Amino acid sequence: MKFSKSLVLISILLIVVLTAAGCGQSSSQSQQQGQQQSSGGTETIKIGTLGPLTGNLATYGVSTKNGVEIAVDEINNAGGIDGKKVEIISEDTRGDQTEAANAVTKLIQQDKVIAIVGGVISSETMTAGPIANDAKVVMITSSSTAKGIPEIGDYIFRNCLSDEVQATQLAEYAAKEMGLKKFAIMYTNNDYGLSLKNAFEQKAKELASVVDVETYNDGESDFRAQLTKIKSFNPDALYIAGYYTEAAKIAQQAKEQGLNVQILGADGFYSPKLIELGGSAVEGAVFTAGFFPDDPSEAVQNFVKAYKEKFNAEPDMFAAQAYDAAKILLTAIKNAKGQGGEALQAEMAKIKDFPGITGTTSFTEEGDAVKDVLILKVENGKFVKIR
Amino acid sequence: MNSYYVQILTVTGINIILAVSLNLVTGFTGQLSLCHATFMGIGAYTATLAALKLGIPFAVALILGAISAALFGFIIGVPTLRLKGDYLAIATLGFGEIMKNILLNLEITGGPMGLRGIPKVTNVYVVYLCVTLVIFSLNRIMHSRVGKSFIAIREDELAAEAMGINTANFKILAFVLGAFYAGLAGGLYAFFFRYINPNNFGFMKSIEILSMVVLGGLGNTYGALLGAAIITVLPEFLRSVSPVIAQYRMVFYGILLVAMMIWRPQGIMGENKVMKRRGQAA
Repeated sequence: MKFSKSLVLISILLIVVLTAAGCGQSSSQSQQQGQQQSSGGTETIKIGTLGPLTGNLATYGVSTKNGVEIAVDEINNAGGIDGKKVEIISEDTRGDQTEAANAVTKLIQQDKVIAIVGGVISSETMTAGPIANDAKVVMITSSSTAKGIPEIGDYIFRNCLSDEVQATQLAEYAAKEMGLKKFAIMYTNNDYGLSLKNAFEQKAKELASVVDVETYNDGESDFRAQLTKIKSFNPDALYIAGYYTEAAKIAQQAKEQGLNVQILGADGFYSPKLIELGGSAVEGAVFTAGFFPDDPSEAVQNFVKAYKEKFNAEPDMFAAQAYDAAKILLTAIKNAKGQGGEALQAEMAKIKDFPGITGTTSFTEEGDAVKDVLILKVENGKFVKIR
Repeated sequence: MNSYYVQILTVTGINIILAVSLNLVTGFTGQLSLCHATFMGIGAYTATLAALKLGIPFAVALILGAISAALFGFIIGVPTLRLKGDYLAIATLGFGEIMKNILLNLEITGGPMGLRGIPKVTNVYVVYLCVTLVIFSLNRIMHSRVGKSFIAIREDELAAEAMGINTANFKILAFVLGAFYAGLAGGLYAFFFRYINPNNFGFMKSIEILSMVVLGGLGNTYGALLGAAIITVLPEFLRSVSPVIAQYRMVFYGILLVAMMIWRPQGIMGENKVMKRRGQAA
């Protein structure tokens, strides 16, 4: 027969695959038993981290992993959880979806972790999340901001600063605490600016009034046309939904035009460059931020010190949020007496008003973090925390 | 053997379909295509949208995905296959970028957020059933008059034309067939990972598929199969050896590719004589 060789090859391939897959089903049951046994008798509690440790997104993944390590070091130095040490197993995803699926399956099936901190970027969490959820392994992401992540399932939690949350909370703070009444908004025309603007506008309209909304593009340097229009409405405050470079110029040009308003912003403001570029014009500006390393509180200073000692680098927002996510997770593991699965999920959902270094955290029913966002102010050319 | 291995096996199967289908275009017909992942993406999005929005059953959605990828293969094939070599490669590269941007900006595809909540229907059995069907049909094609024409075009387009082969039509046919199988793989991918976004089907994925084919051996179906298996399994294998090696696994992967091209440029199972003749001509 002409095709006998290829037919033989195909059949061999099929036999191998089908036997292998068949074995997989029978052995997965015995593994579950093994998992139950081991959770009773082993000395370590294993948690995994998932994120890009190589490739062009590595900086986020490495910061996240480092943040988790600091949290785990703390608990191990204090004697672990019920005498058991916590062990971290870190898997690399390269920021690739297929690798994320493989890595999360490895963590769950091979390493038998009871919970995972990750993924870092949204697309990998979207792929890894359903796999962890099906396996009843708690997963908490500290940086995947995309919509719909906590909704993946009961076992998926999120602890990060979303654009909606920070804009809404600033609008609330400005209207209630600062007593501002008439808001004008300028936003940069991209995802970031748009979602900040939408959330801020909605809340500000609810509590006070929004008199004008203007748009600009990143990289522009002349905002006089928009500012002239804004001035004609005579607002109390100007919310700039954008990054520090443009924000500094907008503040300066507003001042030049005699538009004396309270400048408000989001975490895009948070850079020493804001003050460098904006000078006296940004004095008094108020904005939201995810993490403030100069916060004098003991918890923050201990974290910053430990991070610098271990990694010889300044912790960024990713590290701080991952640290908080890991602390929340470890607290829940402790409450669940080292058990994973349903017990851990129940304890995670119970977390309320957790005092972290990125704000006080509780979870919504879906598992999304509700936190008091940090609010910073520029005072005498320095950032200070006002909430 | 646990579900981790089953998972790798399934991904390998999907990659095998991609590699053997690209091998039909690039290996057998000799047309360098840099948008194979784009056809995969078209298949993935069509199958997903058909299942999510229209409620079409999985098997039909898969075939719809493959057909729409084939259609796009035809649309891109007609104007560009008059181009040769590098020029064709650049044209397919451009097509890939256009499609990626379309997927990124359309409302129905979810833009950069992609599509989620896809039911998990693909399993290892379905994938290897498809692998078997694809390889079997490819073998039938390559042993037919059509397959011989593909090879004739690769070997010498002028001579093929002189023998009465309509080279333009056969080149388009190769493109359409390759796109069809890639679209099928895309559908399987979407129903396995339950989430897709345009970045999964970009230029890097196309290059990955191409390196599977080149590693295994251009112009050999089983070579492409082997290449796909190696490139899928190797990074995962290195991940489990030790944490230190896991960190450098992409380096090993790169070294393997470089070493292959130096000592065995025709690939593991490549046809030696073809490459040699090309070497002399160059």
